[in-house]
Amino acid sequence: MSAVPVTVNTEWLSDCSGCHIAIVDLHEKILAVLDSVTIQRCPVLTDIKDYPHATVGLVSGAIRNEHDRHAAMEMRKSCDLVIAWGSCAVFGGPAGAGNVHTREEIADAVYLNNKTTVSAQPPSCEVSPLESTVSPLDKAIDVDLYLPGCPPHPAFVFDALLALVEGRTPKATQESVCGHCTRQMRKTDVDAIRSNSDGIANADQCFLSQGYLCMGSATIDRCLSPCPQNGIPCTGCAGATMQVLTEPNRDIRTEIAERMSKLTKIPRDAIVKEIERTSKSHYSYTMATQMIGEKPTFLIRRWIAEADQDYQGAKYDTQ
Amino acid sequence: MNPVVIEIHERACRGCELCVDICPTKVFRFDQDARLCKVEHAEDCIACLSCGYICPSHAIKHSGHHEVKNFYRDSEFCNRVGRFL
Repeated sequence: MSAVPVTVNTEWLSDCSGCHIAIVDLHEKILAVLDSVTIQRCPVLTDIKDYPHATVGLVSGAIRNEHDRHAAMEMRKSCDLVIAWGSCAVFGGPAGAGNVHTREEIADAVYLNNKTTVSAQPPSCEVSPLESTVSPLDKAIDVDLYLPGCPPHPAFVFDALLALVEGRTPKATQESVCGHCTRQMRKTDVDAIRSNSDGIANADQCFLSQGYLCMGSATIDRCLSPCPQNGIPCTGCAGATMQVLTEPNRDIRTEIAERMSKLTKIPRDAIVKEIERTSKSHYSYTMATQMIGEKPTFLIRRWIAEADQDYQGAKYDTQ
Repeated sequence: MNPVVIEIHERACRGCELCVDICPTKVFRFDQDARLCKVEHAEDCIACLSCGYICPSHAIKHSGHHEVKNFYRDSEFCNRVGRFL
């Protein structure tokens, strides 16, 4: 153990708070952590409003407005080492899906013409205006380490912190979500893609084998696979695997289609097409990062326009 | 020449047999009872890494092979993923 006490600041930008709640979910196990590290600024645990000097800074959330950018820069100034914590900070997260719309469209859908609540004017004071695009943390400040996950399982967060204290390499692996799943992958004669609401999946067999689109094989494991083990196909919340991030010719949709078409009788192109049709769901966590969003084959605006055209066409046909 | 060392993380193997199918030199054998793939002929491995790429769990690791630098990769992205915890 290091003789120098490790102090931690955490900050929460544009995100849902889940990363911070994951720390609180440690319950009394947090006492073991507090033996090694001192938590200073932490929006869910302490009432410190400024940015005291800390050895480690955990920043969750994407950069969506001027306030986020300011807070990120304050964290960079006050912390020796900054970790982008959670999928929003690493990849932009679900907020990144805002990049396929203009700020005016978002204000219109959320405030002016919201279909599920009373209409109102967008806020003009107190809340800083949206920036033109959503950025991952490393577009605003230098980031030393990245910890994806939505939220990263606390086991990974504290293994990372303890590894820093003890000067060793963290135990995090590069395996995908399938690595901790317990379903068996078997070759089947399934010949059509099924939606998640279509029947009840066999609990012992891989979703892909049964025709359900599961993103587990293209998603890095920072969660210990709770969703597929509890009957829910993976939605890819921890972001893409290393091979998708580093290889320009590999992508989330092609990786899934490659494997699913070999496990079932569904043609590869049909799977690629279906993921493109539902691209806003399948790429929602990662589209704001250059590593996915700037791949030359990532044509989300075209896919959304095509899906919209099909939808409008279908509506026209039934009228 | 020393053979390529192939390690399979058994806990992560989902029994899909994709590595058995894709290997051009028939390095793997599928154990039907355990529903796990096994390395049978490591000496035949040509380190094409196809099995490592297709494995849904990313459970197959190679060592002892000559690494070819892939110039098409974005070095900045590679550097960035090197700092993933």
